[in-house]
Amino acid sequence: MIQRSQLDLRKFVAPEFICGHGALHLAGRYARNFGMKQVLLVTDPGVRAAGWAGAVGESLTEAGVSFTVFDAISANPRSRQVMAGTEAYLAGECNGIVAVGGGSPMDCAKGIGIASSSMRDILTFEGVDRVPVPAPPLICIPTTAGSSADVSQFAIITDEGRKRKIAIVSKTLVPDISLLDPEPLTTMPRELTVDTGMDTLSHAIEAYVSNASSPMTDVHALEAIRLIASALPAAMAEPDDLNLRFSTLLASLHAGLAFSNASLGAVHAMAHSLGGAYDLAHGRCNALLLEHVMAANYDAASGRYDRIGEILGQGRETPAEGAAAFRRSLGITETLAEVGVREDAIPALAAAAYDDPCMVTNPRSLACEEVERIYEYAL
Amino acid sequence: MSMHSEHPGERDALREKIIGLGETSLHKSYYPELQSRLAELERFRALLDQTHDAIFLIRAETGRLADVNASAKAYLGYSKKELLATPFADLISPSKQTQFSEFIRDNSNLPSESRQTFTAPLVSRSGTEIPMEITVRSVTFGAEQYVVAVARDITDRLHTERELRIKESALESSTNGILIADLTGAVMYANRSFAVMFGYEREAAIAGRNLEVFFADPTVGEKVTAHLLDNPAIVQETVGLRSNGSPFHIQISGSVVQNDAGQPLCIMLIVMDITERILTEQMKREAYTQLGKNIEQFAILGDHIRNPLQVIVGYAEMIDDPFAEKILEQSRRIDDLVTQLDRGWVDSANVRQFLRRHGDGAKPPGETFFRFSNWKEEDR
Repeated sequence: MIQRSQLDLRKFVAPEFICGHGALHLAGRYARNFGMKQVLLVTDPGVRAAGWAGAVGESLTEAGVSFTVFDAISANPRSRQVMAGTEAYLAGECNGIVAVGGGSPMDCAKGIGIASSSMRDILTFEGVDRVPVPAPPLICIPTTAGSSADVSQFAIITDEGRKRKIAIVSKTLVPDISLLDPEPLTTMPRELTVDTGMDTLSHAIEAYVSNASSPMTDVHALEAIRLIASALPAAMAEPDDLNLRFSTLLASLHAGLAFSNASLGAVHAMAHSLGGAYDLAHGRCNALLLEHVMAANYDAASGRYDRIGEILGQGRETPAEGAAAFRRSLGITETLAEVGVREDAIPALAAAAYDDPCMVTNPRSLACEEVERIYEYAL
Repeated sequence: MSMHSEHPGERDALREKIIGLGETSLHKSYYPELQSRLAELERFRALLDQTHDAIFLIRAETGRLADVNASAKAYLGYSKKELLATPFADLISPSKQTQFSEFIRDNSNLPSESRQTFTAPLVSRSGTEIPMEITVRSVTFGAEQYVVAVARDITDRLHTERELRIKESALESSTNGILIADLTGAVMYANRSFAVMFGYEREAAIAGRNLEVFFADPTVGEKVTAHLLDNPAIVQETVGLRSNGSPFHIQISGSVVQNDAGQPLCIMLIVMDITERILTEQMKREAYTQLGKNIEQFAILGDHIRNPLQVIVGYAEMIDDPFAEKILEQSRRIDDLVTQLDRGWVDSANVRQFLRRHGDGAKPPGETFFRFSNWKEEDR
């Protein structure tokens, strides 16, 4: 465990963001202010069908900004999809990107931005601080409350060749502005609400116990845990309540500000590995791993985990049990084995997770064998 | 990014970067890139300023200049500020302004990759007209349309073209046939006189043929070419061959055309039709031959007259007759006449000799000397 002091150097980077009802309709104004003439509007088919991409398009048109829609994006966006978007960006002679959607379109939009500005394959950016030329201006409009890609320095892309997710980490990936509007969240299906909510919780918990946490990130992480613990179950009960949806959005924002600066830990490292190999929903992977990683890490940050346990409540003995009870209350009751993970795949999953940059800020330095055991517990 | 092989120090360095404390863990900033692009633009600007062409960026809507390079200022003698306040059309010579405006209007809707060229003089501050070839292209920056005009000073080119035209005319109007061939003997150019001389209707019909087709002896062309590769020039009389196969006498004067480095580029032959001269010489030769024969006959005739005359004189001296003296007197007159004819022959021979010495070209194939019996050394 890395010893921490409040005098340790820390940096806090946050994008400009506007939150509140109707924020989405400011897309055109900000696109114009950033000097965008031709925008690549990055979204996915679901968001487009729900009408949110169209609403943003109208805003762009009203501001006199032309746009090209790119929506060939799946969950866990593939490198091939990023490069297809890059081609669309260059072919359309675009000079800015507006991303509307969840983590997949936003991560893909970040990838398109850096691939087009550097004219390189997206996979060559894997790692930390490997983006030499800044991407064009990027406006993010999240339609889920969980990925926090709208405020983070991360882009997670699936390397189809190696069947694993790569992490691209760079401060240059932080969007230029994010427009946080609760209204698009109302069209999220229940399962997506749960998974993205659990992603928020995982972000907040991992940032809070991260060995790179700071007083600034702690404030956001704890607020995120508090908000999600109360607002997520309520929002599931009343999905059309804009105030509840806004609370989950705020939770995601706080969590994003926390983890984008304090980074994450083993939960995300292992979830990236799982998602790459099995194409599982990212939030669901986090949900199934969270309590097991918390248990494994507990001794390294017991005070912080206890604080988390207090917030999660649930009347459980340990924070990990509290987290487990929380996810079960949301209807997530399966195990890794039940979603298709085989025991013989664990060594490879563990090796990939051990390689993930999120592992560097895990509160406890885990050996690869320990990562394997965590997967085994989660089976 | 693998962490398996990383040492703890490297792992710490990675962590520093992830939390934003790496050397290049910087928030997005376009300023370094902006500086890089500005430096690139400055380098490009320096390149544009170095070019001899005058470059003008013209606002399509107003016709006013938006930018110019250093050469534009140098050619025209105006400052950049002055030029930017001037419509481009005002820099065109008044005689071409209307034409240029029409040209711009006609080409304003052409696609940006299309370039059009217009030739017109630009007028400098001092009033000097500089002949320019102006290439214009329509471009769009942002929402505004511009015309880029690149003006090239063609003063030297026009001068060179004029000189070339004079030289071409000189070659073309020469009464001698002129033929230029490459070093393999393939004809590159023949002037009109050559074509006419050799019976071709058009000069173009000659280009590409080999030299050998123009000589009765096909090896002549090759020999001339070979000679010229080792020698600077050749003058030779030979027999040419017309396109219809008829031969005629020609004199060729050949030389090698070299580049500045002294390397041979091609050969040039100047061909003269000398048929008339050759025929004249032949006629002269025949006339002299006939003259010699006539003189010889004349000399023989003298002998033939003198022999019976001697007999008559002998008989007249032997007889005693009052008419004998008359016969002798008339015989002496006849002898004097024959002697005068002998002297006339000597004079004719001297004239022929004089003509030979002074190159009348009518040297007979073989010389025949005639001697008369009373021909004296002093008469020569």
